[in-house]
Amino acid sequence: MDFAAAHVSFVIGAYALSAIALVGLTIQVITRDRALKAELRRLEEHRR
Amino acid sequence: MQTLANPARFVGLANAVLPFVWVATIILFAIGLYGAIVTSPPDYQQGETVRIMFVHVPAAWLALMVYTVMALASAVAIVFRHPLADVAAKTAAPIGATFTFLALATGSLWGKPMWGAWWVWDARLTSMFVLFLLYIGYMAVWQAIDEPHRAALVARIVALVGFVNIPIVKFSVTWWNSLHQPASVFRIDGPTIAPSMLWPLLVMGLAYTLLFLALHLVSIRAEVTARKIRQMRLAEIGER
Repeated sequence: MDFAAAHVSFVIGAYALSAIALVGLTIQVITRDRALKAELRRLEEHRR
Repeated sequence: MQTLANPARFVGLANAVLPFVWVATIILFAIGLYGAIVTSPPDYQQGETVRIMFVHVPAAWLALMVYTVMALASAVAIVFRHPLADVAAKTAAPIGATFTFLALATGSLWGKPMWGAWWVWDARLTSMFVLFLLYIGYMAVWQAIDEPHRAALVARIVALVGFVNIPIVKFSVTWWNSLHQPASVFRIDGPTIAPSMLWPLLVMGLAYTLLFLALHLVSIRAEVTARKIRQMRLAEIGER
């Protein structure tokens, strides 16, 4: 890829936006899953 | 399918499959990005801007595919009363909305240097925007109605009625005059893209699909846990 070519900032912007959105979504999904698992463990221990 | 109707069995299967899906996703993204940024040539007309295709087109494919998954899951919920079908549809929506947002935003970044405009009310762009609104509306139904069974009933209708928009998005470039280029990969007479650009595009498409699969499995597992927590809390209130 020629980084000096015309309109290259649009290409970088598209890849950066995609990376931010997809990595952000992945982190959000994994964090929610872990938080809910921890919450369930807490509730199960509390019941015992 | 009936075997997977048991949420515990489904979670067990998801736990077993997920590590392989994550590894395959990372490998495919590495290969796809190498092809997209390093080996594929610039276009003779669009120059380097054509590389936006490798993130824009897979996002658009997934935007349509995820909504189709939502509509199918909703139909399965109505016909077979599969306990995980509503969960599958509900958890697919935020992922599909993200892909739709990315298709719109990267399309806008591609449109400005090529068409001279960030946005035009063209049939393809407008139907894609309607798809984004359908995702938002579907998620709003689940947020607005507290009781999950009632929310599921309304959400199924929204998903199935909204599915009408999927062929409109797909064929909008054929049915109406459009600034957007026509289909160049999934065509009856075969792809019209050069092989040097086609393989990274297909690999990126597969990487996006596997990312969706991984995120969807984790989201379904999380939703099953959330429902278990809700039941335990309701049982606690009932015991008091």
